[in-house]
Amino acid sequence: MTDIIICRCEEVTLGDLQETAKKYKCSARELKLRTRAGMGICGGRTCRPAVDKVLMDATKENPTDAIPLKVAPPVRPIVLSKLGGVADDK
Amino acid sequence: MSKQHDVVIIGAGPAGLSAAIELRKNELNVVVLDEFPRPGGRLLGQLHEEPTGEWWNGIKESNKLLAEAERLEANIQCEVSVHHIEKVTDGFSVHTSKGLHHAKNVLIATGAAESAAPIPGWTLPGVMSIGAAQVMTNVHRVKVGEKGVIVGVNVLSAAIARELQLAGTDIHSMALPVENIVSENESNPKKVMERLVRIAHLAPSAFIKFGSKFAKAEFVRNLALRFYPRGGIKMWGMPIHLRKAIKQINGTDKVESVTFVNVTPDGDIIEGTEETVECDFVCIAGGLYPLAELAAVIGCPFQYSTELGGHVPVHNEAMETPVDGIYVAGNITGIESAKVARDQGTVAGISIAKALKEDESLNGKLLEAMETVRATRAAATIQFHPHIDEGRAKVSAAYEQL
Amino acid sequence: MTNRRIEHHPVLGDLDAKSTVTFQFDGRTYEGREDDTIASALLASGVRTLRKHEESGNPRGIYCNIGHCYECRVIVNDVPNVRACLTPIENGMIVESGKVQPSPLHPENEGPLPRTYAEYRKWEEKQNE
Repeated sequence: MTDIIICRCEEVTLGDLQETAKKYKCSARELKLRTRAGMGICGGRTCRPAVDKVLMDATKENPTDAIPLKVAPPVRPIVLSKLGGVADDK
Repeated sequence: MSKQHDVVIIGAGPAGLSAAIELRKNELNVVVLDEFPRPGGRLLGQLHEEPTGEWWNGIKESNKLLAEAERLEANIQCEVSVHHIEKVTDGFSVHTSKGLHHAKNVLIATGAAESAAPIPGWTLPGVMSIGAAQVMTNVHRVKVGEKGVIVGVNVLSAAIARELQLAGTDIHSMALPVENIVSENESNPKKVMERLVRIAHLAPSAFIKFGSKFAKAEFVRNLALRFYPRGGIKMWGMPIHLRKAIKQINGTDKVESVTFVNVTPDGDIIEGTEETVECDFVCIAGGLYPLAELAAVIGCPFQYSTELGGHVPVHNEAMETPVDGIYVAGNITGIESAKVARDQGTVAGISIAKALKEDESLNGKLLEAMETVRATRAAATIQFHPHIDEGRAKVSAAYEQL
Repeated sequence: MTNRRIEHHPVLGDLDAKSTVTFQFDGRTYEGREDDTIASALLASGVRTLRKHEESGNPRGIYCNIGHCYECRVIVNDVPNVRACLTPIENGMIVESGKVQPSPLHPENEGPLPRTYAEYRKWEEKQNE
């Protein structure tokens, strides 16, 4: 069961999440930073509810109104050139 | 290259389109943005029979809204992804994959996303979310496979299972995933049984219809689970299992089979009862949650409500959020039907028009539109959650407190 | 080749005629309808695998089909990370699946790619020969 991939983008398993949560007794943000769950190209859209559940179970805390993981723009991958970057230094 | 509008609407689903219609009726300048190649949102793929016997045909309903929006010359742009909303001096700057849009007001009508119910093997090609199967089948008219299994028994998966059958796709059965931390609500037979009674009226099976009258009492439901047939109960000729669960999905390069295992009424595995079933697709149904990332980005506060599907941006019945100029409508406000989303869009449109034109005479229309939402909610045939009203009350209270 | 098109439907009706579009995926030619996305056209022809996971090489196909999960990302006319589920096919489109990428955790996968700027300049000169 612990082999189940929870974050598909980064292939972070249930075991990875549970062990990390237990070892570091961490917040959602720290769990994300340590395991990379939620940091893949989909921005956590697919795994966020699952990661929240694992954390809730590990910390035995009920969900609060505030979102456990901050959402930062851009919420869709965007190439630098579209953000105003220059394509080539030449 | 940025464009100036009165309102930017993010999402061309029933909520976004209805809002656009109201805004255009009030002669306001709007643009509707959507990343899907055609407008209609998730309404496009919907197809189910109402108790009256009539078909709710999502493509037809979308076309109705679209025709009205186009008649009123609403500017709808598809294949555009919004990645950021920024507060600027005279309103907001909406950053998209095809340039910037500026407006005094933004309506975020981005709908919902699916919650995953992960089980071993769920990343194999051939495994998809239940919503993916709906879109592929009804919108793109492509069969998702020859024979498949649906993991997760709930209102949405039952409705879509029926849609797949109608399109000639063979569904072997529907079952729960074997219990794990993540899919707790979806994998516990008792919890699922509790929710099944709410779709009982959709089932032609006499057993379920008969049983649902008594199923209000927990002890009756528990009895029903103990005596639940090993072969499942059939709905539309398709077995629904509550005493057999899916342990894993097998295959090397794609789905080849699934492994069933018998479970107790509490969802515990009964060792040694594994059974492999060949199939070429699997649909995972873990429920829906509001897709509110853009609301978070622009600083909208949230309220947690299981009844509404998770974290919901705080808003009032006029679809205003605590962030001045930011409105929400549709499934982003809580998981309900497309009809409610459509009616909420109408409220949002009138609400924004009233604010922008500083027109108090629109108040009557606004109140009427809000009443329509309540009436539509009360008349709903399919309810995703029994306590929606409580969830709504929680969110309204949160708005008042801010 | 498999054809998974739902031509007739008891409620939605028959599919209306649309023009055929021809495109390439990983060097093979495929046909689809004018209103297909890359994902739907490929699935109609029986193709499920759209890429390999960048690190593990595990095969992936569509998951959400509505642009949220990015599992269906492909390279279209040299542009990477294009969602196959949202992109309509066009005549002559060249689509490629994503492959396993070099990783410092798996140096054996790196192949002949340059690792320093000096190596890169040498490699670039060689390319231009």
